[in-house]
Amino acid sequence: MGKLDRFTPTSPLKRLVWTIGIVATAFMVMAPVYLLVKYSISDMESINTGGLPVPLWPYHPTFAVFSYLFTDPEFWQVVLNSLWIAIGTVLLSSLLGVPAAYVLARYKVPFRRAILIGIISVRLFPDISSVIPISVFFISLNLYSSFSGVILAHTLLALPYVIFIGMSAFEGIPRDIEEQAMTMGANQFQIFFRILLPIAIPGLAAAAIYTFLLSWDEFIFAHFLLDPGGKIQTLTLYLRSRITFQPPQNLLAAISVCLSLPVIIFSFAVQKYMISGMTAGSVK
Amino acid sequence: MSELIIKNIQKFYGDHKVIDKLDLQINSGEFVTLLGPSGCGKTTLLRMIAGLETIDGGELYIGGRKANNIPAQKRRIAMVFQSYALFPHMSVKNNIVFGLRIKGMELHDMFTRLDWVLPLLGLEGLENRLPREISGGQRQRVALARALVLDPDVLLLDEPLSNLDTALREMAMEELKRVHRQVGKTIIYVTHNQAEAMTMSERIAVMNAGHLEQYDTPGALYRHPRTMFSAEFIGSPSANFIPGTIEIKNGELVLNSEIGLLEIDETRKDYLRNFSGRSVVAGIRPQDIILSSTRTHRRASDSHVTLGVELIENHGDRSFVLGRFENGLPVRFMAANDSDYRTDARVEVLIDGRCIHLFDPETRQNILEK
Ligand SMILES: Nc1ncnc2c1ncn2[C@@H]1O[C@H](COP(=O)(O)OP(=O)(O)O)[C@@H](O)[C@H]1O
Ligand SMILES: [Mg+2]
Repeated sequence: MGKLDRFTPTSPLKRLVWTIGIVATAFMVMAPVYLLVKYSISDMESINTGGLPVPLWPYHPTFAVFSYLFTDPEFWQVVLNSLWIAIGTVLLSSLLGVPAAYVLARYKVPFRRAILIGIISVRLFPDISSVIPISVFFISLNLYSSFSGVILAHTLLALPYVIFIGMSAFEGIPRDIEEQAMTMGANQFQIFFRILLPIAIPGLAAAAIYTFLLSWDEFIFAHFLLDPGGKIQTLTLYLRSRITFQPPQNLLAAISVCLSLPVIIFSFAVQKYMISGMTAGSVK
Repeated sequence: MSELIIKNIQKFYGDHKVIDKLDLQINSGEFVTLLGPSGCGKTTLLRMIAGLETIDGGELYIGGRKANNIPAQKRRIAMVFQSYALFPHMSVKNNIVFGLRIKGMELHDMFTRLDWVLPLLGLEGLENRLPREISGGQRQRVALARALVLDPDVLLLDEPLSNLDTALREMAMEELKRVHRQVGKTIIYVTHNQAEAMTMSERIAVMNAGHLEQYDTPGALYRHPRTMFSAEFIGSPSANFIPGTIEIKNGELVLNSEIGLLEIDETRKDYLRNFSGRSVVAGIRPQDIILSSTRTHRRASDSHVTLGVELIENHGDRSFVLGRFENGLPVRFMAANDSDYRTDARVEVLIDGRCIHLFDPETRQNILEK
């Protein structure tokens, strides 16, 4: 019996309930996406209908707001800023998190439990409550309104994920493999860089993608750490700055579409990594 | 020089003594098997030799060098793990040359070794496959190839065939013997399977609960088990044990056992006279209990015993028979298939006194083999 058989309903009634469930779920997931896309290509007439119900599909679909966005140099500047911050966060959190994950997964670290709880506790507080002390601290370190400040803050947010995902990636590698390399003459560095790291890459890549997205759409820390009138703005701050007294809904939707694009792209990319089996075949 | 000497070696896990003052000497080029039940410490001993476990007492010499404190990387040993531990992200070829790369070998020499080992283990054509893309038997051969190219002083194999099915295992056994003949390396092979040990090894170290029970050639182990444990563990099915006492009856030395009087072989009588009155356990191999109907000539050392047949397991040419002596003691023996016996029948069997091993019930040592 295949794995799927268990979930395939046999009786017509079960089949009906099952189908309704799937359709309802799909609707809940797709409805906001649909609204977002619809508004982003709506003409003003389809938004300000003057009392008439808003149409399900714009009367005259148009990419006008996208053209406006894509020709706005400020838009490109904030996209680039967000990109640099996200890439910086990925690099820094990997640089710090991956070795930490390896050591926590493989060595007898004193106070291991306390350290793990400490790491996870960063995520136990709501961002909004930790953002004030961190901002004050960063300002005292001259990190206010700088790339490094935001990157550091985002790294702080991402590290627990990198460390925990990384740990499970390293823990999944049988010890035999390491010991085998040892008997073949490899030292700890060679074992780490030639054996463990390449095997852990799928897990670490998932953590990196997650980190990228976390930084890309992070708002609170960026908001507190970057001067609202300053030179450095991120895409989320740019979106916020457009929400005025009477916000142009199609423009906001278009920015949101741009904000969501990496999420969609990476979700498809990650699928490939989710196919485990990297370690299959190494140990029976 | 690649002989291996283990002197008085010990290993503790906390208070738990896993290896207890074990001595073992393995000659250069010898194929030695560590044989024993699960949990007796075989893997631990092997890992101590490899340098993956610390040695808590005693000495280890590899090729004349004291190796207690030499790190695993520098011991000139190669180990094949039970799991094979192939590097999953590397092709077969890269798995095999990994150790040579680490040692900084010239590319040219590396390929020479590769060209030698691939045909030796029948791995041609698989060089670029990943471990997950080859079969279990092929993985086992890659693991062996990866160890052999290192040209180690000693090759350590931890149950390398236990993950293979029976047919593959037999092939792999043949192959391993052939490889040993061709490369002449000192091999220490670990298994809990006595048949494997008997077919492959020049000498077998029988281990039990962290100590050495007996260290002998397969033939000597079979014919002269030094302890009850050896007698039970070596040979299949395992030996029958029958309690009794050595007595003098009508001036003759006999074994008064729970299944009746058993003759003692003439050549042993002088020696055993000192033991008269002593309790013993007689160990009799299933192969040494013979249906009377199949033997025409009688020997003075033969004893006749009747038993009831309870279960017959056909093995093709012969059958494995489970029965019960008249006193209720169960017995296992082998019988030719052309002879006449059925379930529930009573049959008479012969036990040759020359084939009886006698053990001290206290020390469980063989009182004849010192
Ligand atoms: N790392 C360890 N910590 C504690 N006990 C261990 C450890 N490794 C093995 N043992 C114990 O040592 C004994 C021998 O184990 P092992 O050498 O693996 O036996 P074998 O290979 O003969 O099956 C077992 O009782 C096992 O439970
Ligand atoms: Mg073992």
